[in-house]
Amino acid sequence: MIETAASTFPQARLRPWLGIVAVAFSILALWMGLLWAPTDAVQGDVYRIIYVHVPTAWLAYLAFVVVFLGSIGWLWTRRPWFDALAVASAEIGVLFTGLFIVAGSIWAKPTWGVWWTWDPRLVTTAVMFVMYVGYLLLRGLSNDFERRATRAAILGIVAVVDIPIVHLSVLWMNSQHQLPTVLRAAGAPSLDPSMGMTLGVSVLAFTFVYLALMVERMAIERQKQQRVLAVRELSAPRSGELA
Amino acid sequence: MTGRTRLVAMRELEAERAQPDGLVAALVFAGMLVLLESLAFGPGRAREPDVASGVFWIAILFAAVLVGTRSFDRDLEDDAIDAIIALPGGREAIYAGKTLALALLLGIVATAAAIFAIFLLDLLPALAGHALVVCVLGVIALAPVVVLTSIVALRVRARVAVVPILSFPLLVPQLVAATQGTSAALQGRGPEALAWAGLLAAFALVYTVLGLTIVPAAIE
Repeated sequence: MIETAASTFPQARLRPWLGIVAVAFSILALWMGLLWAPTDAVQGDVYRIIYVHVPTAWLAYLAFVVVFLGSIGWLWTRRPWFDALAVASAEIGVLFTGLFIVAGSIWAKPTWGVWWTWDPRLVTTAVMFVMYVGYLLLRGLSNDFERRATRAAILGIVAVVDIPIVHLSVLWMNSQHQLPTVLRAAGAPSLDPSMGMTLGVSVLAFTFVYLALMVERMAIERQKQQRVLAVRELSAPRSGELA
Repeated sequence: MTGRTRLVAMRELEAERAQPDGLVAALVFAGMLVLLESLAFGPGRAREPDVASGVFWIAILFAAVLVGTRSFDRDLEDDAIDAIIALPGGREAIYAGKTLALALLLGIVATAAAIFAIFLLDLLPALAGHALVVCVLGVIALAPVVVLTSIVALRVRARVAVVPILSFPLLVPQLVAATQGTSAALQGRGPEALAWAGLLAAFALVYTVLGLTIVPAAIE
């Protein structure tokens, strides 16, 4: 049985604050990334795109792990809140994966000499992007709320298998892409401390942007769900009525 | 294997025997792709292990989607899907039975395509046993994902386009592993072929377990 009563949004109180914090951290990250962090000895100023590329990569992973968790939550509890969580995170994840690919491509041109190369990391990321576009496509092709949520949840769980493949592809296969800079099995990040701090602030800023977008998108989805479920409740035959 | 899984698998194979349009289409398609490969690349390049094994597995991949989609089409056309679901027992059996039947049918397609490639391209693997292991595991690794996406896309608009859109990205690692493994077996690199075969076995296990755990929720 699906809950149809209008539930209060736990995120409602956070909504105005998250946006403000996201903007504040973004301004700080912009200043640190463009002015405060030192120039790289090898790549020059081109490397500064790392402050966009790595945070968008992190958000792509985070968003799709949240889709996975939301999908499990829906299948387990059948609470529409989890479906709203999954769809909101999938849409934002697709957006940031697209930005991740574009930022990587802009960085590749001056360093590798090409916009795109058939490198395992690039290909697996593109595959992940297509996979979640397929997830959104599947959602758009089904009208029944419960059926759509269940099928999307199954895909959301299965697709998460690709995330470790994307991250570890540079270790498993002969890759042109550099090895992981931050999430490394070998220990501490391979970065200058001031660059590391700037990257940390950028990751934090992007995470707040993600959270702010999530709260807004989830609120919209919850309103949609409540409308759909209310219509369904009204059109369902009451006890004593002929079906 | 439960009795119901066997029943679903046998029913699938019997339906395919009675009306083999999916299998015939897949066989013709696989053969045509081998021919087109020779024409497109030229006989010299078509015989290169990387090219030949890549085209072979792309043919099997398309055949898997073709046969898998046709199986559910048949059930929907005859309204048989409701009867299968209504049978007593777990819905896991529908997933397991369909997967088993698809793997067996793909085995037939793969055997025919391999014979075709050997005959037309004069392509004999240096390590036939290793190539066989990779082919068997490759077929087993493809089937669960195709059945899973076919069930997820059941009764969805534009299903014919949705199944490949959903399954191809999920099948990229299996496709790479199968192609690399076959190529290694063709060139006599035994340990490498077996390493790729191991990866295929892992993918087959992961998707079979995932499918048996969560897919029954989507069968309605």
